[in-house]
Amino acid sequence: MNDGAVAATPGRRITASVLPALAVALIWSFLAIFLVYPLLRIFYDAFSDDAGRLTLQNFLTFAGDGFYRRSLWNSLLLGLGTVAATSVLGFAIALLLVRYDFPGRNLFGYLTLIPIVSPPLVGVLGFTFIMGKAGTVNVLLEDWFGLANPINFVYGLHGVLLVETFHLFPMITLNVVDALGRIDPSLEEAAESVGARGWRKLSTITVPLTTPGYVAGALLVFIWTFSDFATPLVLGVHDLLASQAYLNIVQFVDRRLFRMGLVISALMVALAIVFLVAARRYVAIKDYSSLSYSRVPRRRLRPLAAAGAVTFLSAVMLFSFVPYLGVGLASVGKGWSMTAFPERYTGLFFERIVVETPKYIVNSFLYSTLAVLLCIVVGVPIAWILARTRLPGRDVLDGLNTLILAVPGTAIGIAYVRAFHVELPWLATPLTSLWIILPIVLAVRRLPYTVRGSYASLLLVHRSMEEAAASVGARGLRSFGDVTLPLIWRGVLVGSLFSFVTSLQEASAVLFLSLGGWETIPVGIFSFYIAGSANEAAALGVILIAVAAASVVVINRVAGARMGGMFG
Amino acid sequence: MKIALRDVSKRFGATTAVNNVSLDICDGELFTLLGPSGCGKTTLLRLLAGFAAVDGGEIRFGQRRVDRLPPYARNIGMVFQNYALWPHMTVRGNVTYGLRLRKLTAAEIARRMAAGLARVNLTGLEDRYPGQLSGGEQQRVALVRALVLNPDILLLDEPLSNLDAKIRVQVRGEIRALQRDLAITTVYVTHDQEEALSLSDRVAVMREGRVQQVAAPKALYERPANRFVADFVGTNNFIPGVVKEHADGHALVETPLGRIRARAGDVGLGAACVLAVRPENVALDGADENRVEGRVRLAAYLGNTLRYDVETATGLVLKVDVGDPWQHEVLPAGHDVHVTFPASATLVLRDD
Repeated sequence: MNDGAVAATPGRRITASVLPALAVALIWSFLAIFLVYPLLRIFYDAFSDDAGRLTLQNFLTFAGDGFYRRSLWNSLLLGLGTVAATSVLGFAIALLLVRYDFPGRNLFGYLTLIPIVSPPLVGVLGFTFIMGKAGTVNVLLEDWFGLANPINFVYGLHGVLLVETFHLFPMITLNVVDALGRIDPSLEEAAESVGARGWRKLSTITVPLTTPGYVAGALLVFIWTFSDFATPLVLGVHDLLASQAYLNIVQFVDRRLFRMGLVISALMVALAIVFLVAARRYVAIKDYSSLSYSRVPRRRLRPLAAAGAVTFLSAVMLFSFVPYLGVGLASVGKGWSMTAFPERYTGLFFERIVVETPKYIVNSFLYSTLAVLLCIVVGVPIAWILARTRLPGRDVLDGLNTLILAVPGTAIGIAYVRAFHVELPWLATPLTSLWIILPIVLAVRRLPYTVRGSYASLLLVHRSMEEAAASVGARGLRSFGDVTLPLIWRGVLVGSLFSFVTSLQEASAVLFLSLGGWETIPVGIFSFYIAGSANEAAALGVILIAVAAASVVVINRVAGARMGGMFG
Repeated sequence: MKIALRDVSKRFGATTAVNNVSLDICDGELFTLLGPSGCGKTTLLRLLAGFAAVDGGEIRFGQRRVDRLPPYARNIGMVFQNYALWPHMTVRGNVTYGLRLRKLTAAEIARRMAAGLARVNLTGLEDRYPGQLSGGEQQRVALVRALVLNPDILLLDEPLSNLDAKIRVQVRGEIRALQRDLAITTVYVTHDQEEALSLSDRVAVMREGRVQQVAAPKALYERPANRFVADFVGTNNFIPGVVKEHADGHALVETPLGRIRARAGDVGLGAACVLAVRPENVALDGADENRVEGRVRLAAYLGNTLRYDVETATGLVLKVDVGDPWQHEVLPAGHDVHVTFPASATLVLRDD
């Protein structure tokens, strides 16, 4: 009864209504300042000249330049090509993992997750070590078969396609695995009962039913490939939009080129939004998810088929793990040129990056930790607003959250450079000169994972559970703490872990904003590699891989394999 | 098409879902598998459909042995509990899918679809998606989808369980009329005994994978084969006892409530048995030969009946229905009454 008396006092009532409103206002300001404003800023830049007058001239210049047109075309082609390749691979693997039983199925299911949380920069480095012109494969071919000229496996658009495909296919696999799990078995049985089987059943019933999840995955693959500049640059491909955006911005000398960099970023954001909206429209009319009580039972493959499945998956995994082998060898190998494997092994490179200049690792962990804390502080309330309230602007909030997934990191980085290069009123220094901008940009980029992880688990906590707690006397935060939190912490944790790992790996946005002394591991990898110190780059890469692998173990433990929802 | 099952068994790990079931289902009959959840009725239906393989025994449709055939080779039509309409296809797409697989001409496909939809009054909804239909409409689309292929056998898995009570009764009637019309052999699975009694030609009651009794609805209700069936179908009062005497078609049974006269059953003299008498056959202070003293514990007014729980001296509670509550003043709890029931409505069952 005492509690009741306190709750009824006016002071308590005012805080009870003011605090949430304040929190909502803070969340909105955060998104407005750190997401909406920078994006608007690059659009303004793209549509104005140096004097600030609105003009379309920049886009006319872009359209009139054959090189830019080809870059746009190449980027679209590369994106679509990667979507096609990852779809075939991802779908086949998902189907095998969900519907069939064969030796090593669990192991393969686990291995499939690794490429997705492994750092993309490391992947491309590893590929060049093993598959490059002077890489292991070519050297072995020369030694064994007397090959005269090395085969160009990776340098060029086809190399980018190869690297992106083996890095990104798990996005499709995860989403399709998730979607397959939601198909009620009776839908397929109904097809069988009227005579559909095999390929026919697969193509007319099973595949269409995975549409929503699949489209979400395909969209992410497309946008990722479309906006990745680091991979193409390492592989010597410059005629892509993202590469051009990077090269034009970082040169900082030619104002005209800089302006074109902004135009390209704006174009990339616009295209990403168009694709996002189109995909959402398409998915909205094709949402078939039904609550399924049972699952299609796994079919045990006959020995021959099982051998085929294991061979196929092993081949895919071998390719996916080529980079790790390359990076691993390079990180401890000395004198690795024109030989298949390093001549001598040394701990020197690790000593350099861990003992002599530990800043890469320290910075990475510091920024990513701060970023994740920000993600939780901002993201969990957003998830709660989306799942539990009817606040005005929910749709916008949801849209912004999805928008983040679509906006290329390159564009965000460039947008921040433009938007926060103005002096803060009371500090007399721009935000771009303060290291805190890095955790902020990381938090914004990775916010969706935390929101989605929390949102998905909030949906699972039926409102009546909270109401039941309220009915026996748990009020407000009490029922949240006693009932809701214990039920959703896994989702929050998985989302946050995912935010953390991907923050550690973020290269694109950070490369634009990082100043001397702020370098993170990916920045270190990039600059070491560009400066010709591939071994130090590799050693940093090994550390990233180790963290990624450890995170996968934890995520798997906590969430099982149901990570698909995070990318939808 | 007749269906014959011989010693059909199905095991899932250590549990035997269907245990040595033999059944003969007549041509054109609506045959219901009735039982509580987990009794094996749905598994048995899935064995008929071919979605699960038998572990032993054989299944014949007519003369043809089908238990090794895949579903699509059995010429069955199946309606699923959740309808299983393909959400990415329109009503037209759903209904004609199987026809298109059979490479029929466009005209024939259109004709069969139109005829099927007309039969269940769904003409005009061809271009709707399942998500745009009501539950009853989805149910009927599922039925048409199963029937346009002219199957030999129609299999229905709890088809009404997702519908509202009122619509359920209506669709039940429609299914029965359609089945009679087509004279198609139909196997119907349900756990709802009222549904089973109202629309079946014959019912098989199942428990723990075994068939307990096969009978027409009236016989099932009035002559249950054992205590389980008597309990599962409708409501019964059970009184344990021992058969003491058989005389002129009656049995005299010694019970804690005294000697009770019952219809002679197949329980031998001196054997333990259980007496079953339905509440509607029990009266308060009537003239029937069996008479037990008791006290009203509870009266539940159900509108068309009034049900008393009457506690006897031994603690056994008997349910008594008053069929015409309009003419009856409700007795308060604690009121002493005599419970009476006729020997002709008292069954002697083996206690199992």
